[in-house]
Amino acid sequence: MSTQPTSTMVSDSIPMASSNPKDFAKKKRVNRSAKLKQCKLDARREQWLSQVKNKGSKEEPNGEGGACGQGIHVANERGNLMEKLAIMPQGKEEENGGCMNHYSDFDSPSNSPTSHTSSVLEGNDSGTNFTGGSSSSNSSSSGGCCSGSMSEEDNEEDDGCLDDWEAVADALAATDKKQEQHNSSLDSAPESDGNVVNMSSQVSGMDSSQQNPKGRGTLPGSPVSIRAWRPDDAFRPQSLPNLSKQYTFPMNSGRHYRGGSVWGCKSLSIPTSCPICCEDLDFTDTSFLPCPCGFRLCLFCHKRILEEDGRCPGCRKQYKHDLVEGETTRDAGCLMFRPARSCSMISRS
Amino acid sequence: MVDLARVQKELHECNRDVQVSGINVTLKGDSLTHLIGTIPGPIGTPYEGGTFKIDITLTDGYPFEPPKMRFATKVWHPNISSQSGAICLDILKDQWSPALTLKTALLSIQALLSAPEPDDPQDAVVAQQYLKDHQTFVSTARYWTETFAKTCAAEEKIQKLVEMGFPEAQVRSTLEATGWDENLALEKLLSS
Repeated sequence: MSTQPTSTMVSDSIPMASSNPKDFAKKKRVNRSAKLKQCKLDARREQWLSQVKNKGSKEEPNGEGGACGQGIHVANERGNLMEKLAIMPQGKEEENGGCMNHYSDFDSPSNSPTSHTSSVLEGNDSGTNFTGGSSSSNSSSSGGCCSGSMSEEDNEEDDGCLDDWEAVADALAATDKKQEQHNSSLDSAPESDGNVVNMSSQVSGMDSSQQNPKGRGTLPGSPVSIRAWRPDDAFRPQSLPNLSKQYTFPMNSGRHYRGGSVWGCKSLSIPTSCPICCEDLDFTDTSFLPCPCGFRLCLFCHKRILEEDGRCPGCRKQYKHDLVEGETTRDAGCLMFRPARSCSMISRS
Repeated sequence: MVDLARVQKELHECNRDVQVSGINVTLKGDSLTHLIGTIPGPIGTPYEGGTFKIDITLTDGYPFEPPKMRFATKVWHPNISSQSGAICLDILKDQWSPALTLKTALLSIQALLSAPEPDDPQDAVVAQQYLKDHQTFVSTARYWTETFAKTCAAEEKIQKLVEMGFPEAQVRSTLEATGWDENLALEKLLSS
């Protein structure tokens, strides 16, 4: 990839970036299929697709200029198919005013070599040092608003994996995903832009329930959002907007448990054992948040309480039955979070 | 069936910081369902200096049902029956939550001692006195504390001095004369 000429980066990297990550994504999914219910995830993905399409059109005005244009690209192209990716440049220019800047920047010799260099570095580094790679990409692309690597990412985002190069960079820093990262980085580093491919493959390697909200989601900021949609992260999004970018970094490296505990003040105190029966909470229990007050308990005790007065031990309010289902909780969380995400994007631009 | 794991954990946790809270829970017998809780009388109240025992019975539904608590030590308080020791406290009734523990319940009782609710009385006589003749209420409560909530300590002191070889009757009278001051009583006994 370091041998790739800068001038041909667009034409070369787009198909590569778009096709390779897909392969990785497939691979990862196969690996995970044992654990995950794929069809359910697909359904959610579809759901997100439609939601975000709407969202994307709303956000368009915000992203007209500068770096925030990426968010818009993402939003606009989110629904595009793979075939369209190849001809993306034309499509973009037609669709979006922001893309004009995007491409002119990209073609200008001053910007594109820089970004390419950084991405090369990342490719080299990716096997060993993710943080370094991502930070360099941050600096290069934030300095020159839209760079070549960004456009590539945009294409890949259509792959359903990524929203945002920064998010991708963050994702790279997630040390707990070591396995996936290593796989993806090793595989992808040789081909096209290592940075982008790594990211996309890594992200796609993640649980597709995360990935979907993420891919469709409008938040540029975010492996944060990736994790946020873990089944056990219900209500976590409430506290997300307050967190600074740097602060999210170490958090990403935590698994959902730990991440969850870092995230919200409510989830800060995720107990390890049920406060009612003192039995250890398993994964299902920790992902179970029956009451908005944040009081957690095991499913057995919850059931027992429902059989009696049905009031939350933490706040004494009646349990709401629509919140009892994990699904609903998560969706509610997404809905609540959406405005926050668009906010963060605006603030960044 | 009482949740034994939880009760054991509660006992452990409660007795771990007994120095800080002053609240203690011990087994009454061999069973984990009958317990004795002790709370110190809140400072700045007529109950100051007393140690109040509370009889705790755990029902099968615990912790989903409140523990049954009543004062084993006689107390003069509007919300505590001067006859039976029954406690009028919402968290021991309809406001109980499984998230509460024996310790928090005992803490609530301790708080009740320092903040009586005469408008929702358990003992109407005491409540009337509290509202109409507060001075008398305070002195009565203090007298009851001295008489009933400190007997344990008094008995211990008597026992201690008796073990030193003094006759019990003399020890008792000397202690009463010195205001239950152990050292003073000892001096007096030695000089006599």
